Amino acid sequence: MTSNLNLRHAIYWALFAGLLFAMPYLVSKGDLRTMIFALYVGIFAMSWDFLSGRTGYISFGHPFLIGIGAYATAILSYRFDVPVMFSIPLAVIITMVASTMFILPALRIKGSYFALVTLAFMELMYQLVQVIRPDLTGGTRGISGVETITRGAVNGFYLAAFLAFCVALFLWLLTRTRLGAAQSAIGMDEEALKGSGINATKLKLFTFVVSAAVAGLGGAFYVHYLGSIAPRAIFDINFVFTIIVAALLGGAGTITGPLFGAFFLTFLLEYLRPWLPGAERYLIYGGVALVLYMYQPKGMYAIAAKLRAGVMK
Amino acid sequence: MISPLKTLTGAAAIALAASAVTADIKVGFIGSMSSDTGLSTLRGAEIAIEELNAAGGVLGGQKIELVTADTREDVTEGVKAYEYLAESEEVDFIISGSIDDVSLGWLPRMIEYQIPTLDTWTSYIGIIDMVVENPDDMKPYFMNIASDEALATLYINFGADVLKAQMGFESVVILAEDTAFGQAITGLVTEALAPVAGIEVKDTIIYDINTVDFAPLFSKAQESGADFIYQVSSVNSQVISSQYVKLQVPMAMTGVNVSALGLEYWEDTGGAGGGISTLSPIPSVGFELDPASQAFVDTYQAKYTSRPVMPHFNGFNAYQGLKQAFAAAEEAGGFKDVNGWNAAMSKQDLKLMKDDKLWLRYGFWDRDTVEPVTNRTYPQNALFDLEAPYDFAQPSMVVIQWKEDGNVGVVYPPEYATTDFTLPSWVPAK
Repeated sequence: MTSNLNLRHAIYWALFAGLLFAMPYLVSKGDLRTMIFALYVGIFAMSWDFLSGRTGYISFGHPFLIGIGAYATAILSYRFDVPVMFSIPLAVIITMVASTMFILPALRIKGSYFALVTLAFMELMYQLVQVIRPDLTGGTRGISGVETITRGAVNGFYLAAFLAFCVALFLWLLTRTRLGAAQSAIGMDEEALKGSGINATKLKLFTFVVSAAVAGLGGAFYVHYLGSIAPRAIFDINFVFTIIVAALLGGAGTITGPLFGAFFLTFLLEYLRPWLPGAERYLIYGGVALVLYMYQPKGMYAIAAKLRAGVMK
Repeated sequence: MISPLKTLTGAAAIALAASAVTADIKVGFIGSMSSDTGLSTLRGAEIAIEELNAAGGVLGGQKIELVTADTREDVTEGVKAYEYLAESEEVDFIISGSIDDVSLGWLPRMIEYQIPTLDTWTSYIGIIDMVVENPDDMKPYFMNIASDEALATLYINFGADVLKAQMGFESVVILAEDTAFGQAITGLVTEALAPVAGIEVKDTIIYDINTVDFAPLFSKAQESGADFIYQVSSVNSQVISSQYVKLQVPMAMTGVNVSALGLEYWEDTGGAGGGISTLSPIPSVGFELDPASQAFVDTYQAKYTSRPVMPHFNGFNAYQGLKQAFAAAEEAGGFKDVNGWNAAMSKQDLKLMKDDKLWLRYGFWDRDTVEPVTNRTYPQNALFDLEAPYDFAQPSMVVIQWKEDGNVGVVYPPEYATTDFTLPSWVPAK
């Protein structure tokens, strides 16, 4: 399993952990708040990348998974006084189970049909939380006053950073296994994979459940960071695009690239705020993302790799 | 000869001294900067700040600086915007032109930061319930628009007095958009209008906010056999009303139409908006203004030429509310002492008179006073009066109607009415 791991990898991960740990000493609290959002978007983008970036099964419905985790813990803790230390793991399990039930039929279809089915799941969830037991979900207004795990920017940052680091490391390690190699083969040639005797459906299901677990985990912590949840905030097409663009800009199929893509997008938007407080900054945001993607379709990960190769020469 | 170093040191000292004298108080605006309602709050706050600065400043002569944070009416953007104002800009006070779910999104941040915050647009009674249940955490929060429960309560009187008694309507079909706002108003109408006013709800039709063709929905409404349509529309409301007029739907249509709250409504509907009536918080279009409110509108219209040409009700709320927030800060020694500021803000009471009659009142319900009609408390919510002759405060809302010639007036309650409620010319009387 770990034959392709070496000291260089360990050093990179240690540097990454050290950088995250030092961040509160280096930047303002305002920037830390922005980083918290970037870290959560990064977790969602990594979850998306693990499924879509590596297998080629494009999901437009990732907020469906995030929302199940977020709503599950919000309802358990807010409505039934379940302690957060139990409601979050339960939410992750609920996300995994619910996503399996929903996605199993969808795994038989491919390409744009799969993308459309996942998009339909998100829309379905958006409608369901409003009409099914609004006394639990809060209906269209959602729930405000969900217990927050942390107070203050520094604590919130450390929690989000720890979570993002663990998710990134876990997914990265998973991709270094034989399972990970087989998983990326789905995206290259699924028929050939089947010919090699590997059960592609089981592999896809495994990939989807792992992706769902990460999305559910991220969603659960996210709602306990925000302190509120509303259907419009989660099951939103703009939210899907933010996740996908972060993954693509960072570098699809690279796991850690989407995390950096999320940082780039979130900071670009927030740094434009003082100069362009209105909707104009979204034009800049879209333009920069477009130019960057046209210049390097493989994302910032590829740019960083090129730079590193240049320095090493 | 003076050395360059001494000159530099002297200049720095002068700059420091100057900054100490004119240290700014920061006010943050949170809301949509691309909607007429959001801009109304922003501009109302801007005018109030200009006037306070021109009068010598606040809190010992300090100047007020306004910083803005756009929410795009998006819940998550609202949380980010509040964090930006609190952490990056470190504002002293926040004025909000946010819609319901956006306010609910940033409320946990307000509780965390404890920054005095005034909501001028959100009317969700659930937030006042939070003040009742959690008074300590919610001390920084004030809402200076009547909560939606109060709006609906008075609207039921309109249903009973005008729709049922005058027009003879016995039944209604609700045509509501699929939003938080739509759901809330629909709930209030079905739970209260029907049983209290004695009007039967025949059907409830929910439509998507991206609907562009309302003809099938109007057909369905007619098939219900109801006497009139109650529409609830806050997004692209001009579409439903202009199609109602163009299709000459032979049923009266009233309810809540947010686009009809602004003077741009006639232009937005291409002149096809006559006959529509909607409830509106006060002051509405077509509402007679007291001299103080008229002066604010004159200043507004001299300063801004782009839409909205007339501030929506929340523009007035922002203008008066921001001044009251600073009056409270003067009494409490600033905004830092939230308990002190809350106590001082709760006592703010501005009575605006018109022709020797109490016309508008900007004040807040205290913790203990029970409103006699609804029999509940409304701490930190704007004062309102649900019973004629409205000598305690203004009504929680009025009903306005756009006429087929493009004029608009208040049709209910009678004490504030400027015109009569009429059916559109193509709708047969019952």
